[in-house]
Amino acid sequence: MGSDPAYLEGLRPDQAAAATGLVTLAYLPLAAQMETAVTGYVALLVAWRVVSLRWPKALPNRWVLLPLTIAGMAAVLAAHHTLVGQEGGTAFLATMLALKLLEVRRPRDVRAVTVLFGFLLVTQFLFDQSAWLALYLATLLVANFALMAHLTAAGRLSARRAAGLAARLALQAAPLTLILFVLFPRLEAPLWELGKTKSRALTGISDSLEPGSISDLVLSRALAFRARFEGAVPAAGKLYWRGPVAWTTDGRRWTGGRPASDRRSPPPLARAQDKVRYQVLLEPSWQRTLFVLDLPVQVPSDASVGADFQVRVARDIQDVRRYRAVSALTYDTGEISPDEKAAGLELPPNVTHRMRRLVADWQHQAQSPQQVVRAALRYFNEEPFYYTLQPPRLGANPADEFLFETRRGFCEHYSSSFALLMRIAGIPSRIVLGYLGGELNPIGSYLIVRQSDAHAWVEVWLQGRGWVRVDPTAAVAPERVEPSDILTDLAGGAPARFQIGDPGELYRWVHGLRLLADAVDAGWRNWVLDYSRSRQQGLLNAFGLGFLREYGLAAAMILGSALMLALVAAAIGRGRRPRDPLQKVYLRFCRQLATRGLERHPSEGPMTFGARIAAARPDLRQPVQSFLSLYLPLRYGRRAPNQQ
Amino acid sequence: MKLAQASEPPRCRSTLGGGTLRPRLRVSLASLARQAPLDSDGLARIGRRHIYILPTGAGLAFGSVLVLMLIGSLNYQNNLGLLFTFLMGSVALIAMHHSWFDLLGLQVLVRGGVPVFAGQDADFSIWLADDRNRPRGGVAVRIGPSASRPADIPAGGEVAIRVRLPTERRGHQTVHQVQLETRYPVGLFRAWCYARAEARVTVYPQPARLTLRPPLAAAYRPNTQGDRGVGADDFVGFRDYRVGDSLRHLDWKALARERGLVVKQFGGDRAEEVWLDWERLPPLGVEERVSLLCRQVLDAAETGLSYGLRLPGATIRMRHGELHKHHCLAALASFGHG
Repeated sequence: MGSDPAYLEGLRPDQAAAATGLVTLAYLPLAAQMETAVTGYVALLVAWRVVSLRWPKALPNRWVLLPLTIAGMAAVLAAHHTLVGQEGGTAFLATMLALKLLEVRRPRDVRAVTVLFGFLLVTQFLFDQSAWLALYLATLLVANFALMAHLTAAGRLSARRAAGLAARLALQAAPLTLILFVLFPRLEAPLWELGKTKSRALTGISDSLEPGSISDLVLSRALAFRARFEGAVPAAGKLYWRGPVAWTTDGRRWTGGRPASDRRSPPPLARAQDKVRYQVLLEPSWQRTLFVLDLPVQVPSDASVGADFQVRVARDIQDVRRYRAVSALTYDTGEISPDEKAAGLELPPNVTHRMRRLVADWQHQAQSPQQVVRAALRYFNEEPFYYTLQPPRLGANPADEFLFETRRGFCEHYSSSFALLMRIAGIPSRIVLGYLGGELNPIGSYLIVRQSDAHAWVEVWLQGRGWVRVDPTAAVAPERVEPSDILTDLAGGAPARFQIGDPGELYRWVHGLRLLADAVDAGWRNWVLDYSRSRQQGLLNAFGLGFLREYGLAAAMILGSALMLALVAAAIGRGRRPRDPLQKVYLRFCRQLATRGLERHPSEGPMTFGARIAAARPDLRQPVQSFLSLYLPLRYGRRAPNQQ
Repeated sequence: MKLAQASEPPRCRSTLGGGTLRPRLRVSLASLARQAPLDSDGLARIGRRHIYILPTGAGLAFGSVLVLMLIGSLNYQNNLGLLFTFLMGSVALIAMHHSWFDLLGLQVLVRGGVPVFAGQDADFSIWLADDRNRPRGGVAVRIGPSASRPADIPAGGEVAIRVRLPTERRGHQTVHQVQLETRYPVGLFRAWCYARAEARVTVYPQPARLTLRPPLAAAYRPNTQGDRGVGADDFVGFRDYRVGDSLRHLDWKALARERGLVVKQFGGDRAEEVWLDWERLPPLGVEERVSLLCRQVLDAAETGLSYGLRLPGATIRMRHGELHKHHCLAALASFGHG
């Protein structure tokens, strides 16, 4: 490389500035993921670099760089305790790249930054995979290629032309990229179990329920999953998306698992009607639960259905996950097992006397468990219970305090106290956590389910009907639902039970845009993020190539990309139509002679060609000579090519 | 006149090559490589089979980054990572084709520049023309160890690139082959090719310094018409300064050129014609004598004398003028070479 004259040139300040800008812009989305120490360190180095763009003397020498490097590693180690892995590795890479900026003195230093730049872009996809981020980073990637072109041209290319060149390269590369992406053999399982670290405190439904666990969740507009139905979307009141089931309580907290089951698989349903088929695109939840409509009858092959109809997979869901399922909206789960009955009646130690008295009242009036349930719901409806997002804080015995004192709560308060009351009444009960409803996106006609749709409800076992879903929250009188300011911010994402009124024209317009953006994102998740081995196989089947497996697929990929490369190369090689007027005139001259049967051989220069014509057609000698005598000096300057 | 043999591969400059082995290796490899032949117009056209291409150091580094990105993306089963890896790889592959097409179909014409004295740099101009209506980016020309800066060629246009070759000895600096190379568009690949060329620059001998002046005085043949006395009108030659010489007759130019104190001799008594004769030189080696004669030619030409050159086996008649000077110098340049 040392012999390249372009490399011997001094560094252009605009190139150093461009490299600094690119690294800074690429780091910005990462800043949210990185620890403060790391971001602070990177910001310091970038600031230093910016200062030394103006005053190059400010650049640190080797003796300053060494402690700086150590400081950078220390910052990463302090924040992540490692230099490898998803977070530590990314932080390390970012700090070292920022450090490299301070080392930039020659064009080849800038080139080193441009070569490593791709890394910085790709690591970000471990944290965020949205279409917008990808678009942003793809722009930076093209800009990076523009910087490479600018470096290669060593000042003979304007920034604009370099950008145009890079954009053209990227466009020409797009078809090849597509073929590689579609056909590249995917792994079923990771090569090494490095595992991803859960970077953010992800919001989502957990396996347990306690006061506040859902009301916090409801404030998040974050996407939980999307669902697309084959056929009509069920009525909103039927859209109970089943998640973890909680059986045991210590009086404050309800916890999940399947402690009570003496059955490993669900009992055969006595009745299953109104079946719906649908596909769910689940966001990474870092849990193992798949959400399905009540009640699942068919689930993906790698998932298992517990006796309580909780659908779980073997590993945490770290990436967008797609699955198909079939659910029955009308069902009868049949008999209860003794273990389930025992677990469904287990009481916490802090059942109070007034709770028992309340239940005894209902039992006294009721003839059957059904009527007890109805009495309890009536109690919630008629007594001054309020449905609010900001319930008062509860003490050691939340159920008791909620039922008799505060009477303001959210779905977790209603469901946990209801389930408790049922157990006191001798009716087996359990709490189901999940989502209720979802918003239908007319663009793409699928259901968007957000974290704000999180919900908890109760299932009670009744003789002859099996486990029956009861939603005590719905029993609260509509006039006692408290709208709140927070909810107006949530707007469309707010649970349907809160009446927000007409949000106005602007809101509807903005909301329409949001739905459009969500449709784009859904397509993105569907076709890019979730393009897995099975999807690949499905696509190949559609083209009759389903027989291709590992090596066959690799061969097909190589063949396909070679073919595409040849096509693109042919397009590149064809060149453009002549723009030079002199060249146009010469080509017209050749065309005119070609019509007289005198075709120019590709390797023939104008003079040889002229001489051949003069020999073959003495009648044309004069006009050809006069043309060449004008053309040659213009074409080759005053120095005509050597004539032997 | 027969063509002089190609001067030896010029000495490598430390700033351009790597070690001492590399330029030699390069020269021997280059002679093995296919080169674009000259057509009847004296142009070389770069064809498909003439172009070589390999990744640059940066290209190799880029490739290793891509491999790491691929492994990482596969391991984390990250489709976006894969997509970006493939995009970057595809851009590199497309760029490789651009590099290749950058040279394809170029026309190359090499011409030697004006003669130089040994030790000076010989100037060659290389014309690069595009006749495929493709703009060509950053084509550099390399001759032996010397490389030009990369130049762009507009679509259907042409550029002239100058390359200077160091010379060491008199004769001819010939160029039989030039190397074109490009890293366009993004510097990940280097494409190069060799084009045949027929170009040469005459290298005159290095003129001797004047320190050997006294024996040279004898080389001036007296005029047959006899001594016409010492005068101040006609310049007849130089001699070293002696105490008592008029300062007006000092050759200030020679002093400025650090040739020592030299006095211009004037007189009406000396011939206006001189023979610069090989036989009259002191019995020195061939190169020293050629070098002395070269100096004499230059001095005689500067003073405007008519002079003739007598070399073993060749005589150049008494003449004066610029053309004559170059004629004599060229004869000295090729003296003994054939």
